[in-house]
Amino acid sequence: MRRFLLARLAQAGLVALVVGTLSFALMRALPGDAAMRIAAGRYGPDAMTGQAADKVRLELGLDRPWPAQFLDWLETLARLDLGHSLVTGAPVIEELKVQLGASLWLAAAALLISLAIGPVAGVLAGLRPTGWADRLGLAASVSLRAVPPFVLGLVLILVFAIWLGWLPPAGFGTARDLVLPALTLALGLAAVSSRVTRDAVAAVARAPHFAFARHKGLPEAVVVRRHGLRNAAIPVVSYLGLQAIYLVEGVVVVESLFAYPGIGHALVHAIVERDIPMVQGTALAMGLIFVAVTACVDAASAWLDPRLRSAR
Amino acid sequence: MNVATDMRDLSIAGLSVSGGAGPIVRDVTLSVRPGQPLTLLGESGSGKSLVAQAVMGSLPPGLTASGHIRLAGTDLLAAPAAVRRKGWGRTISLLPQEPWLALDPTMRIAGQVAEVHRFVHGRSAQESRLRAEENLAEVGLDRAGTLYPFQMSGGMCQRAAIAITHASDSALLIADEPTKGLDAALRDGVVERLKQEIAAGRLVFTITHDVAVAGALGGMIGVMLDGRLVDYGPAEEVLSAPTHPYTKALLAADPATWQRRVPTQAGAPVVTGRALAKAYGGRSLFEGLDIEVSAGEIVAVVGPSGCGKTTLGNILLGLAPAGSGTVERQGGVPPVRFQKLYQDPPAAFAPHQTIRRALADLVGLHGLSWGKAEALIARLRLGEHLLDRRPGEISGGELQRFALARGLLLDPVFLFADEATSRLDPVSQKEVVELLLEIVRDTGLAVLLVTHDGALADKIADRAVLLDRPAAWVSRRACDALTTGLAPCF
Amino acid sequence: MSTGLDVLTASRPRAVTARGAGAALIAALAAFTILGPLVIEVDPAAQDLSASLAPVGGDYLLGADHYGRSLLARLAHGARLSFGMAFLTMLTAAVPGILLGLVAAWRGGLAERAFELLANIVLALPGLMLVLLLLAFAPGHFGPLYLGLALTLWVEFYRVTRATTTSLLKEPHVEAAKLLGFGPAYILRCHVLPVIAPLIATLAAFAMATAIIAISTLSAISVGLQPPTPELGSMIVELLPYYAEAPLHVLAPAVLIVLLVLGLQLVARGEGR
Repeated sequence: MRRFLLARLAQAGLVALVVGTLSFALMRALPGDAAMRIAAGRYGPDAMTGQAADKVRLELGLDRPWPAQFLDWLETLARLDLGHSLVTGAPVIEELKVQLGASLWLAAAALLISLAIGPVAGVLAGLRPTGWADRLGLAASVSLRAVPPFVLGLVLILVFAIWLGWLPPAGFGTARDLVLPALTLALGLAAVSSRVTRDAVAAVARAPHFAFARHKGLPEAVVVRRHGLRNAAIPVVSYLGLQAIYLVEGVVVVESLFAYPGIGHALVHAIVERDIPMVQGTALAMGLIFVAVTACVDAASAWLDPRLRSAR
Repeated sequence: MNVATDMRDLSIAGLSVSGGAGPIVRDVTLSVRPGQPLTLLGESGSGKSLVAQAVMGSLPPGLTASGHIRLAGTDLLAAPAAVRRKGWGRTISLLPQEPWLALDPTMRIAGQVAEVHRFVHGRSAQESRLRAEENLAEVGLDRAGTLYPFQMSGGMCQRAAIAITHASDSALLIADEPTKGLDAALRDGVVERLKQEIAAGRLVFTITHDVAVAGALGGMIGVMLDGRLVDYGPAEEVLSAPTHPYTKALLAADPATWQRRVPTQAGAPVVTGRALAKAYGGRSLFEGLDIEVSAGEIVAVVGPSGCGKTTLGNILLGLAPAGSGTVERQGGVPPVRFQKLYQDPPAAFAPHQTIRRALADLVGLHGLSWGKAEALIARLRLGEHLLDRRPGEISGGELQRFALARGLLLDPVFLFADEATSRLDPVSQKEVVELLLEIVRDTGLAVLLVTHDGALADKIADRAVLLDRPAAWVSRRACDALTTGLAPCF
Repeated sequence: MSTGLDVLTASRPRAVTARGAGAALIAALAAFTILGPLVIEVDPAAQDLSASLAPVGGDYLLGADHYGRSLLARLAHGARLSFGMAFLTMLTAAVPGILLGLVAAWRGGLAERAFELLANIVLALPGLMLVLLLLAFAPGHFGPLYLGLALTLWVEFYRVTRATTTSLLKEPHVEAAKLLGFGPAYILRCHVLPVIAPLIATLAAFAMATAIIAISTLSAISVGLQPPTPELGSMIVELLPYYAEAPLHVLAPAVLIVLLVLGLQLVARGEGR
């Protein structure tokens, strides 16, 4: 258990290092004077003068050799000082707080909807492999996975928002605004989790220990409850770790598509506007959330599977 | 009295099992009585497992049984599936094969025993727990209740499965290949437990491919071949005076019945290991071990699984480093003349290559003639038509003979046979061993025979090295070592 | 009691047909992407404002977009761009991935540890995030997009090659080949490659599907390739405001993306999930 946590902590460190390094390189790679850009971000383009830029240059040590600046950059990052947005001038951390909340709502809703669809369809398919539920599930899963999330989102907007007019095409604030983006993500997640569940259920149904539980004379309900559920849940839960990747990537795409004011949308905006502190802040936050989700999945897997608990 | 005894019997009359392509098992008639167990012998595919599944009522979908199976006076085949399932764990219980796979990997052992009391016999949680503890104590697992299956050895899993059948307390116990995957020491332990069940008055019906298990259990023996019962009678009669040719071949293939090989005049030492030691995972496998294999000699290394037999062979071949000590090989002999035969023949060939390709590449690499390969193939009684198959498409016995031919192409002076016959059926094992002995006699090949089968080592080896768990080893004439008090290491 | 009927064999014919359908789909799309731009001698950038949003089946076979550019020509060029870039990205990821995987499995030691660290660094972030961060250096450019995708995709080739080869090299048949005197080249050619080749082929198809999705997605959220490049993702977004007048025009590039990805996934999967 401790080994898992240490590995995830190391991963979090790597995330910070990768994001920090790329952001620093980005700062150096952009044409023009970095001090001017920062001064403009801080004091507004109108108040930005040569003097202000010099002041910033001195304060941040932008005249020193780059390795020293790089260490400085990382040290600032380690103190969780994310700086100010070059566009709005507001502290990055304040912007993140708002955006992160919106994104977490979206991700949570997507995950819940996907869990209501995927594993249920998977169990139905897995109980009768090659039966009609299995065939239908496979066809739906294969087709859904061939549709990129942004296309799926567009189709949902066209159908539900524009042709049927049931739901708003974009916006934020009410639960109704959440439905379409969350559904877009959830369908993509469920397309995979339904098949993982199906395979897990079919594998347990074939397993010698499942047959032995019946041969012991246990009633069917007891066989499923005591020897089926936990064993089938192990691969499904550990697969959630991989689904976290899809979720994080999907949040970026879906938020941009639905103009949903979350952290993914902010990241794409920051990239287009070359707002490096915001790029760094949003990427770091998303990376760390990704690591946190994976750590939770590790913990859940270990709780389910005693073999993982004892592996040291 | 007679009637009462009959009421407790299992009697099978005219049983056939049919699938879509016609009958797979035909007209089998057998019976089991208290104190008179029944053992069905046969290879995989002979239909013996289907007979057991027909009795249990767990035939795979698509297969149907006809005939009569009477247990305690009721005809099981006449009852609907749901009713038959109600009998599981109450009137019939099953000792599964490879119990380490049949136990739930995510549940502690005590729970897996207690649930039989709780959900089959409807006892309270408290009482179920206490009774499960008793069941575990009966098989010597009184402190293992909190373990998970993956924390237990194969033998412990086997005993846990027996504890579960005790919890069922059923009249009939079906043991399906109870010794599969167990080494000799554990095999004898399982036979002992089954004998206790018989003594306790249970009906015991065992399926096995192991003649020794059938002989040790006594009672009645049935021999299955291609879905038919070809021999059936009291154990002593079937084993001492078999009537069917297949039974005769099966019994003749048991190393215990073989003639002991006459030791040959050994030549010069081919491989010598001195003061060898090896530890694995902090545990010492052996220390200060001396071993010498000379031309024309067969030296056996015998011991239970995990004792370091294979490691010792690999050290002598130079495939693994020794912890300490020295290995000396005959001077002037190129390394390719030291060869190895593997336990699992399909794993010893590249899976995507035909046998012809594999042999032709070898012939090409060493500049040999294809005629030599052909001569060896004929000598090992292998058909030319097998050459164009892939390893997965040839039986284990034939493939092992190809492996032998492959090694012999390079005129080896030393052959390490690593459990080379343990995965083969008894008749194939005998064929391969006979050919190997022929080659040793004709070419003066030195053989290191690693095996867990004491009887095999006893019959064909000149000398034996016994590796026991606590890093002890003994080397002496095979027949002495294997018949004295060292038996516990098997 | 192991004498069970193999339930899985029932699904094997289905796997073959899926694979065949995928291959046929890919072949048809490949023909369109290779021959299309040659046969259709229309410049995908040539505007004809009088033909703005021309309907399907008129002067323009698949209609024209809001600038009056031939949709058929744009689709053919767009598909070629997606397919070609995905193929290039896959090759750039596969070659070093496979080579490093083989070296790690064969040599182990320091090389293996260094490659593992590299793989872990790349995997620390979801792939798309890394691509986005690289795109920040030059939004709308081909270079960082290609580099970022290859950088995230090589890891899978590396991991599968390394894991499979490591376990293969421990197999008795490889040990036997060494004892029989065969060298590393023979073992690689006859023992390792036949086993890993089908796995690599599967990964390659998946990698291309991933690349096609990523390229179109990033262009659609306007950090990937930019108009007027005929890129399928940006074509959809460009045409989206005209969905009411010309719904088929919006749908066409989307259908093309889905078919490309579907074909690749069918070839890769064949069966299973």
